[in-house]
Amino acid sequence: MSAQPMHIHPYERNWMVFSAVMLVLFATAVSVAAFGMGIQVPAPEQRVDPRIVATDPNSPWSNPGLREVSPGKYDAYILAHAIPVWEYLPKEITVPAGSSVSFYVTSSDVQHGFKIQDTNANFMVIPGQVSKLTIKFNKPGTYNYICTEYCGSGHGIMYGAIIVTP
Amino acid sequence: MKQYQLSTGEKKFIGSHLLVAILALSVGSLFGPLQAFEHAGWDIYPYIKPLIKSYYQGLTVHGVLNALVWTTFFIMGFLTFNVMFGLKRPLKNPTLNKVGFWLMVVGVVAAAIPILANQATVLFTFYPPLKANWAFYLGLTLVVVGSWVEGWGLFMTYFAWRKENPKELTPFIAFASLVTALLWQICTIGVATEILTMLLPWSLGLIAGVDPQLARTYFWFTGHPLVYFWILPAYISWYAMLPKQAGNGKMFSDSLARLSFWIFLVLSTPLGFHHQYVDPGIPPVWKFIHSMLTFSVFFPSMMTAFTVIASLEHAGRKNGGKGTFAWIGKLNWSDPSVAAQLLAGILFFFGGIGGLANASYNVNLVLHNTAFIPGHFHLTVATAVTLSFMGISYWLLPYLTGKKLWMPKLAVAQAWIWFVGMIIFSNAMHVLGLLGAPRRVPLGLAPYVPPEWNSRLFQVGVGGAILFVSGACYLTVMLMTALSKETVKEEVEVPVAESMQDLALTPVWLDRWAPWIYGALALIVLVYGPVLFDLIKNIALTSPGFRVW
Amino acid sequence: MAKKEHENNDEFRPNGTIAILVVFVITTLLIWGTIYMILISRGSTI
Ligand code: HEM
Ligand SMILES: [Cu+2]
Ligand SMILES: [Cu+2]
Repeated sequence: MSAQPMHIHPYERNWMVFSAVMLVLFATAVSVAAFGMGIQVPAPEQRVDPRIVATDPNSPWSNPGLREVSPGKYDAYILAHAIPVWEYLPKEITVPAGSSVSFYVTSSDVQHGFKIQDTNANFMVIPGQVSKLTIKFNKPGTYNYICTEYCGSGHGIMYGAIIVTP
Repeated sequence: MKQYQLSTGEKKFIGSHLLVAILALSVGSLFGPLQAFEHAGWDIYPYIKPLIKSYYQGLTVHGVLNALVWTTFFIMGFLTFNVMFGLKRPLKNPTLNKVGFWLMVVGVVAAAIPILANQATVLFTFYPPLKANWAFYLGLTLVVVGSWVEGWGLFMTYFAWRKENPKELTPFIAFASLVTALLWQICTIGVATEILTMLLPWSLGLIAGVDPQLARTYFWFTGHPLVYFWILPAYISWYAMLPKQAGNGKMFSDSLARLSFWIFLVLSTPLGFHHQYVDPGIPPVWKFIHSMLTFSVFFPSMMTAFTVIASLEHAGRKNGGKGTFAWIGKLNWSDPSVAAQLLAGILFFFGGIGGLANASYNVNLVLHNTAFIPGHFHLTVATAVTLSFMGISYWLLPYLTGKKLWMPKLAVAQAWIWFVGMIIFSNAMHVLGLLGAPRRVPLGLAPYVPPEWNSRLFQVGVGGAILFVSGACYLTVMLMTALSKETVKEEVEVPVAESMQDLALTPVWLDRWAPWIYGALALIVLVYGPVLFDLIKNIALTSPGFRVW
Repeated sequence: MAKKEHENNDEFRPNGTIAILVVFVITTLLIWGTIYMILISRGSTI
């Protein structure tokens, strides 16, 4: 063993510097997307009691569905459950093109996922927690939302749809 | 010079690890092709109903046996071997290691019973409030505790060696194995806490509910370093054994190899939130910090890539290789152990790229829980790790048993078949994920599958079939070797590469343990502490259990 | 040439290694970039 500083081959030294630069580059690109373009991951929104979230009349998820908060802006309260059957409530949402929809999703039983195809909405749905992201729908069409976390035998049939009308 | 000799008893002990590991892989891997076939529309599950009730029961078996049992048993056996052979001394307290091993075996059996009875169809991540039978959680606990005990046996052996050799540099394979065992001790605190404070009492009816968000956070505290526990033993072989096998090459840089293991120890735990980017209950600031730490832990893997390839290049040039790339052909490709590990390493490049994408904070929104994820980890744990371990077993089994490897040509073919099958399978899975296909879904039956996915789903099935053939070849070679009467004349040589750098140049601080351990613990407290504190302070045990399978 | 005190790896020039790593870096940039572009094209989530 030696008390000298570590010896590093010049090729390897250059490679290490280059690797570090490359990683900084990736980190920068990610930061620009997050803080510059508003492409963010979910943040703690609210905690709920999963045992009553679907039944308590004060809970928005006792009456899941779409609410218009201002012209072109909507809140969608969506309940995911495996009991009595694997489904989202509501199963279908219709909004006009150009709408911005905030999704508030929770579960009254096990963990689920929520992914709206062809959009950046893709997050976990965890009992006791509310997951929220906001998506702007510019192009008319049908966007399925599908369950992306194992939630029991019916996991593979669990989906719903957003219909964006012209 | 004669190599250090292990006693027959010691060889048997390592061999028992190998036996359990390979049994687990054989059963667990049966379901992989079934899942792949299901994706392609060839549904075999109705025919095996008397045995396995559903796709998900099979998937639980596949995940638990492959990702947890095959890996853990192989790794504990390999690390134990490396410590004894590297330090040239027997275990300080072999009984302790035996106790650890048997605890793990009992644990596997305890967990297997409810899984086979369809009482624990919760997949290998067992996210609550899916609630399995208590024996499942108890079994997992015993596996973890057993692996701890075996780890303590290794540390005691190191202390004994250090007393006998106060001035000597720890030989690399022993050093790296001890770091890996230590990493495991630190990181499994998460899952142990999850099971002991929540899942086990809950499954026994002692508490009424659990907090699923907190449970996930404990789980991923262990879940990411788990992948380092898998890959580091493969790195040990790539760094210190493969160059020797590939053409008598030397390890390019002993110091940097050690440095990268220390960085893994320090950085591989405090970044588990990169599995929870899209969890609702964790503040984005902390997710972002963990993403930056994840980028940092990519750094020692880049160092590893350099050192390993340079050592291989050294071997190739010694074998007379010329040109920029032509030396690659001069490596000993006809040795099945070499072929398997080189092919594993090649696919690991792509596994690394996929991992970098997953880890990139918001980029995860595109990939989270899509088929991209199993596409990715079949390149890492199911190839870089598994195919390397298969490669290691091609010399380790003959070494342990004194039998000649049965049909080495078939073994070489096995590695290539795995390589080809995995390229087809994993490429199709990655593309499916980018098209939006979810994971953990029997996609052959899902109602929302658009026609664009079909050609890729078919490729998943084709890849699965090829992988099945390769798995069968592996098992045949292992079995026939173990049963063969043909013995080797001399003890099989354990391939350990010398360092190209004089070991006298390795700085002392790379052989000191305390600063690195304190650093690792401090970083964990720093970046996990605040969030865990908050989650625990606001714990809500409001989720009763569900059995929805 | 005088014999050095300690054997070292300086004499060995792993040019092939550098070439392989360059290929790796280019592949990484391409694949990572493609996924990043998918993310960007799908827009804001807040
Ligand atoms: C024999 C070749 C193999 C094939 C064809 C195969 C196929 C598959 C498929 C299709 C899935 C996805 C299932 C889904 O998401 O619904 C899967 C999941 C998985 N595989 Fe494999 N696999 C193989 C070998 C392995 C090996 C060797 C390992 C690990 C050492 C492994 C570990 C896993 C894990 C951990 C999962 C995730 C399970 C889960 O989502 O709970 N596989 N495999
Ligand atoms: Cu689901
Ligand atoms: Cu990870």
